[in-house]
Amino acid sequence: MAWSAPPWRLMNAAERRRYWWGHWRLAVPFATTLLLVLVMTAPLLVPAPVFPQVALLGIFVWATFQPGLMPPWLAFMLGMVADLLFAQPLGVNATLFAATAGFVRLFEARYGHHAHGFDWGLAAAVIIAFEAATWGLMAIAGKPVPLLPLGWQALTSMVAYPLVVALCARVQRLAFGPGGTP
Amino acid sequence: MDWTPPPRRSTAMRREQNLALVGAVVSGAVIATGLLLVVVARVNPDGAARMRGVMLDLVTPVWSVVRAPFDGVGRAADWVGDYLGAVDRNRRLTAELAAARAELQRAAADRRSLATLKRLDKVADPARTLVGTVRIVSATSGSVVRSAMVAAGRRDGVIPGLPVIGADGLIGRTIEAGSISARVLLLTDPASRIPVIIVRTGQAALVVGTNRPALELRDKVGADLPLRAGDRLVTSGDGGVFPPGVPVGTIIGPQEPVQVRPAAHPVGAAYVRIEAAYMAMPREAPLPGFDAPVPVEARRSGGSSAAPAPAAPLP
Repeated sequence: MAWSAPPWRLMNAAERRRYWWGHWRLAVPFATTLLLVLVMTAPLLVPAPVFPQVALLGIFVWATFQPGLMPPWLAFMLGMVADLLFAQPLGVNATLFAATAGFVRLFEARYGHHAHGFDWGLAAAVIIAFEAATWGLMAIAGKPVPLLPLGWQALTSMVAYPLVVALCARVQRLAFGPGGTP
Repeated sequence: MDWTPPPRRSTAMRREQNLALVGAVVSGAVIATGLLLVVVARVNPDGAARMRGVMLDLVTPVWSVVRAPFDGVGRAADWVGDYLGAVDRNRRLTAELAAARAELQRAAADRRSLATLKRLDKVADPARTLVGTVRIVSATSGSVVRSAMVAAGRRDGVIPGLPVIGADGLIGRTIEAGSISARVLLLTDPASRIPVIIVRTGQAALVVGTNRPALELRDKVGADLPLRAGDRLVTSGDGGVFPPGVPVGTIIGPQEPVQVRPAAHPVGAAYVRIEAAYMAMPREAPLPGFDAPVPVEARRSGGSSAAPAPAAPLP
């Protein structure tokens, strides 16, 4: 939020160029999460539906790392893409991703930052709520699904959380530097 | 009453509070829009068909490129395995072949007598027509929808609602089609219903996906004959989409709910056949003409292409 342009007249041409070209960083959280959505359509060599919800984890992690760059409306867009790609009724993932981003933003604003273990627990709670809400929304959308595979996906997602955090942290350091503000 | 006015907010504070308010309103609106979309999807499930087709067309080429090296590795592994197990397999197959030859002669005789009977009774079998042999690009393992993408679309004649058949048996049916790619609903999806016949007993039933590796057999028709593990299921041809006689699976658990192992696995099947619907549904009959007087101008400009039925005379 507290990000303003440096005084224009104080910059020389090279600095202005660097300032303008630096705007690609604004798209980094979106692009990373879009990549995670694409990864979820990957062909996997197991017959059981166990692929973790890495897209949701991406939303969650970026909403904690860069709350300004993962607002609910952007999560909504990503959810629409996910709905179209996963052949789910339009709006299921869109609603839940947006709700996740909004919840994390509220929670962080109210309670501040925590240790990694606490965030993992919070992510687990969010994942369980997400799977339960997916089950409910799919039923509302007229395509009910069995609950058990969603439970398995919740488990694999909790296991996958540290991996997604590591990936996003690496991207964050590469794009924004150790400080973490664009 | 002593009432002091609240201290005046500074500009920066006010700006931040306004921004927070706008953000909250936008977030709420976005979530409400999503819920509205879910309800719209219930009423009109095919609303976003074209958008889905475009997304499929964008993603399928990516995975068909990414998949290529893995296919190569898999082929190499198969090749090595073939050489390692060649002697054993040769002995087993030689034994099987002797039994199969005898069975084959009986089957040839049966086929000829069946053809004679059909000719006598003037049975008309619709022919199966191949739309294309295409490769499965990816099969998702998400836990909500089980679907696969194939690299052929409307340009190749693939439309939603066609049967997809692998070398070992039924894979599923197409549900969405872009211009160069299509999405296949797999047997394991909860929305999948396949009309089948149990080969040993001749009973008709439905095979239903449960989003787990095994399928379920439901809604058996006719006398309640006991099932055995190992009973084979083939499509019955009811419903007009799937041609009859395609292997669907084998019963592995005969107790209720009856568990069925699918005959073909979409990830193993690199290439699949997409066929035309066995007996396509007839086109919807045109709606009855709107029997209100049509203005002369509209009739002259061809506004109503279907000639309206002559209006009944008023009593």
